[in-house]
Parts: sequence; C-alpha cells; structure tokens
Amino acid sequence: MGEPDTPNAADNAEVDLSAVLGRIQQARQAIVGELHKVIVGEDEPIDQVLAALLAGGHCMIQGPPGTAKTILIACLARVMDLEFKRIQFTPDLMPSDISGTEILEEDTSSGHRFIKFVQGPVFTNILMADEINRTPPKTQAALLEVMQEKQVTIGGKTNPLPRPHYVLATQITLEQEGTYPLPEAQQDRFMISVAMDYLTEDEEVDVIRQSTSIGQAELQKVIGADDLMEFTRAVRLVKLPEVLGRYIVDLVAASRPTVPGHPPFVAEYVAWGAGLRASQNIAFIAKATAAMRGRDTVTAEDIRKAIVPVLRHRIGLSFRAEVDRVTVEEIIRRLVEAVPEPAAA
Amino acid sequence: MSEATVEQMSVEAIEKIGQGRKKILGEIRKVIIGQDRIVEDVVTSFFAGGHCLITGVPGLAKTLLISSLGRAMHLTFRRVQFTPDLMPADITGTEILEEDLATKKRELKFRPGPIFTNILLADEINRTPPKTQAALLEAMQEQQVTVSGRTYVLERPFFVLATQNPIEQEGTYPLPTVQQDRFMFHLLIDYLPKDEELEVVNQTTGAQIEDIQAVMTGQELLEYQDIVRQAPVAEPILRYAVRVGALSRPTNADAPEFVRTYVSWGASIRASHYLILGAKARAVLAGRPHVSVQDVQSVAYPVLRHRIVTNFRAESESIGSEEIIRRLLETASPPKSGL
Repeated sequence: MGEPDTPNAADNAEVDLSAVLGRIQQARQAIVGELHKVIVGEDEPIDQVLAALLAGGHCMIQGPPGTAKTILIACLARVMDLEFKRIQFTPDLMPSDISGTEILEEDTSSGHRFIKFVQGPVFTNILMADEINRTPPKTQAALLEVMQEKQVTIGGKTNPLPRPHYVLATQITLEQEGTYPLPEAQQDRFMISVAMDYLTEDEEVDVIRQSTSIGQAELQKVIGADDLMEFTRAVRLVKLPEVLGRYIVDLVAASRPTVPGHPPFVAEYVAWGAGLRASQNIAFIAKATAAMRGRDTVTAEDIRKAIVPVLRHRIGLSFRAEVDRVTVEEIIRRLVEAVPEPAAA
Repeated sequence: MSEATVEQMSVEAIEKIGQGRKKILGEIRKVIIGQDRIVEDVVTSFFAGGHCLITGVPGLAKTLLISSLGRAMHLTFRRVQFTPDLMPADITGTEILEEDLATKKRELKFRPGPIFTNILLADEINRTPPKTQAALLEAMQEQQVTVSGRTYVLERPFFVLATQNPIEQEGTYPLPTVQQDRFMFHLLIDYLPKDEELEVVNQTTGAQIEDIQAVMTGQELLEYQDIVRQAPVAEPILRYAVRVGALSRPTNADAPEFVRTYVSWGASIRASHYLILGAKARAVLAGRPHVSVQDVQSVAYPVLRHRIVTNFRAESESIGSEEIIRRLLETASPPKSGL
C-alpha cells in the first residue's frame, strides 16, 4: 500500500483546495483540447489516463494493434513539460537495459579506474513501456520493482528516480506466440488498465484524412512537473463520503467468489476477484475524476466511472466464462447492477 | 530445564521484551489495519528466529507489513520477485572480474546478491523453478552462501518471508513438502472484513501518511531471541508437543484412526522443535516466563499446516489439514495439571 506516490507528512501543509481544483479542471480541459488536435475520439480512455496521472498511479493500456495506444502516450508526454523516454520491450531485453548498469571507467588524467553507474531509461518522468508482454518475466519484474520502489539499487547504492515518475505500459491483447502475459500480482501494480478499441467508421475517416495530409499538429505544453505534484497532493484531499467508501468496498467484495454474499454470476464466472488495491485505486480514480470536474467531493457516478478501468485487470475469469463468452467488462457491468448504492445515513 | 536457568530468566528481561513487542506493534499499527493474527504470528516468528511462508492473494499488504517490521527494527530489507527465469545467482550473488588498481592484477570479486540483507521478501516463490527455490532454501538453512568454493556468511538477524499465490495457475512450481519444512510457520492471509477494508481505503487515499520509527535494533532482536530460547518448558508440555507431532504420522503405531485414514504424510521432527520454540516466543512476548499448553496449541496451526499432507480420501471428503490439526490437539490429551 506504499503506492501510489505517497507524500510525506510534511507535504500536507494547508492548501487552498478550491483554487487547486480549479486549476486541475482547467488543465484537464487544456490537455484534452491539445490531444484532440491529433487523436480522434477516445474521450473515455484519455480521461481515465489523466485521472491515473493525477492520482499518481501507473497505467496499462491495452488494445489490438493500431488503436493509437502509443500515440496517446506520446502526445500526453508532449503536452506535459516532463522528461519522456520509451522502451520497446523485446524478448531479449535485459533488466539492466531498463534500470541501468555499472561500467568500468578510466580517469584519463590519473589512469584510475572506477565503477560508474550509468542510468537506464527508467530514470525519467514518464516511461513508456511499449508492448511489455513481449519481454520475459525477469525483465518485467525489474520494471515493476522500480515502478513500485521509485529507486534503483545497484552495488549497494540507492539511486532515486526523478519525481513524478509514471510508467505507461502498453499490451497487445491479441493472443500471440512469444508473449509472456503479466502475472496478476504484477498487473495489480498498475492503478488502472485502459482499453482502447477500434474507432467508429466516421472517426476512422477523420483519422485517415488527417494522417494522410501534410503537416503535423503542433502541441502546446500545458502543465509541468511541479503542477502535477501539487495536483496529486490535492487529489488526496478530495472528500470521500462514508457511504460512498462503503459502496466501493461492497462493489469490490462482491467480485470475490471466496467471500460469502457475492452475486450468483460471480460464483459461476469469476475464478478470482479483486484485492484490496482495487478498493484503494477506485477511491483514487474517483477522487481524481471529481477533481477534474472541479469538485471537492466524490459522487457515486465518479465511482461507477472508476470501477471499470480499475477492475478490468484484477478479475480472473473462469473457464465457464470463456465458454459462455462472458467478458470482464460484462462482469463489471453486472456487479454495478447487483450492488445497491448505499443510501446516505 | 534446571531451576538455575529459570532464575536466569530475569523478570526484567521478559519485561523488556514485552515492551519491545508493544513498541513494534504500535509502529506497525500506524500503517497496517487489521490482520491481527498475521501480524502477531510474524512478530512471534521474528522473536523465535524462524522463517515464514505466507499464502494469500496479491494486494493484501504483505510487502508493507514486512518492510514496516524491518523499518521498526532498523533492519535492511530486500524484495525479490520470483519469476520463471530467475537464476540462483540472481539471489545469492555472482562473481565479477575486477582489476586491482595498484598491482594491475585481475581477480574475481564477489558481488553479493539480494539475499545479503536482514529481511528478504521472496515474493511468489512458486513461480520460480526448483533449482532457484533450492538456492534460497539452502541459504536460509545454512545462513551462508557458497560461491566457487568460498563461503560468505549472511548477516544476522536473517529472516525470510516467502509468499505464495493460492490462485492455481499453469507454470507454477509448488514448493515440495521437504522444502516447505524449512519454514517455521505457514500463515494464511485472507481479505479484510469490509469495515477494515474501508478504513484502509480512507487512510491510504487521504492526506496523512504516518512514518514508521525505528524502535528496536537488530542486535536487541538477537538478544531477545536468546532470551526466548532460555524460557523453561515443563516436561509434560514438552511431551505433549512431541506427541502431537508423532501422532500425525500415519506410520506411527499409536496414530489415531483419522490420521491413518486421511493423512499421507505426517509432521517431521522440525514440527515439535518449532512447536516448542514458537510456544516459548509466545509466552515470553506475552510477558510470561513459563510456557503453557495454550502457547503450544496456538502455534500448532501455523507450525503443522504445511507439514501434514492429507491424502486423496481427505480431499474427496473436504477434510483439510486444519481439521486434522484440531483433532490431533484433542487426541494428544493435553496435560491438565499446573499450567
């Protein structure tokens, strides 16, 4: 539960919450405006990714090839004044290709040799981990470890990562040979999983018109690292009413087939349900969603919006679900139907 | 245990441990909500100097618990995610070629692996193939690592907390019973009750983050472990612990009917060793100089859970090792006199 980005007690100084929330709302509008110069549609995924960034969490972006996963991340990096690096995950990528390595260096004047740590691409604000499931597990684990600890320990020395630090990973959902699916404990480290899908025909027409014409859209930088750190702290101050906290916990607990009181379809279709991190992250995303609308209190609607990307990678389907072609999204939709929104006391 | 040793177990020493336990729990409680039983058992195994295996789904704050304990005791902490392609050297360390500046001679130098720490979290140990699992367990047992003929002693205290994901999956390598035997305790961790889960959500997504203070040192922990070992155990209690272990073996002539019907593999001698050591730690942590029957019984589940293997018949009648342990504790007729 150390994640996401935990501020120190000292950071909790008095802030003018409503002023910061106003800035968050403006920033979101500005970012969405810039992104739409390049990206057609995809409003929901864009908002989900923004919410995760505001909540200080890492994102997984899934979808079939050619659904603008990479473009979305690259454009996000262009509208934020943050350092951005990209790693293409391949079957032969090694842990040190991510975190960095020690090399023997010689001081030319004195002839002394010494070991020097050369930082890997993970030392950046936004790391795009492209096609993370193409790399073997040990390398995946190396990335997830630095994501979690926000530091790299090599040769007994600890090298902290720059802050803020986000990993935006992409994963191709098509079953392919030569891919290593992330184990669920590893997926759990991502705050949300965003699904990008094919565009509608009209949207695709727009894309093709744009992408085959001359000139690239100029994107303006809208926010910087300091803004983002401040926004992340403000999101934590958004209020979560007691009944709605209970609503989150009820929704998540209903997904667990081993816990009594779950709806019947869960017993049938769910092999394993969502853990504690799901509840925490729904609260984070709901708070960020409220903040993006300039509100200082979470609503039930914020929670219903947050539940889909947070639970998508945290529910394991049973064999029966596969046979009956029931998807995770369908399970989540039915969970929302089955769990009543608690009435205010 | 002679009367002289009993006298040596000074009241002060026990009091000091009791205070140490209270301070540590106080720190842990700043960040961990609920899971009382797990916290208690992990602290008990720390004071007894044994290793723990925890089975539970991901995301139940196992890492936070163990790293917080490390911080509260000023101990170094490392986490290793076990994967199918992890190699023994990734845990123990490896040799690299280095040149001596003065003599220009090249020699192999040992770069210690993550096992050189006080607390090692071996996450999802059953994802790694047997050879790598064995490397960890060997080091755990011997408290040392041998690489190309040279032996490197591990720092003390040394504590391994290994986790297993219960979700049945392809591509996992379950720990063989013999390997599980190296762990003092096998603990089961489950979801929190809803009220506590809500409390976690409110606490972790809000503004205030509590900091853990170091309230004990590794050196003190080692001293406490010595005090635990000095706690006296009355003969009937010792015999009771041994009897519980012995009766769990279906090959034992005295084994009860249910053991012969449902158990394919009983507990080893390590079971009675850890029953007594765990009971001593519990007694001392509770501020009592004498070990009681309840102390033995309360560590019986974590000590025996992974050491009793039930057979197919038990599985078809849904009788687990918990049920066997419960019946064993009764059948072994606990001593009633005195304690």
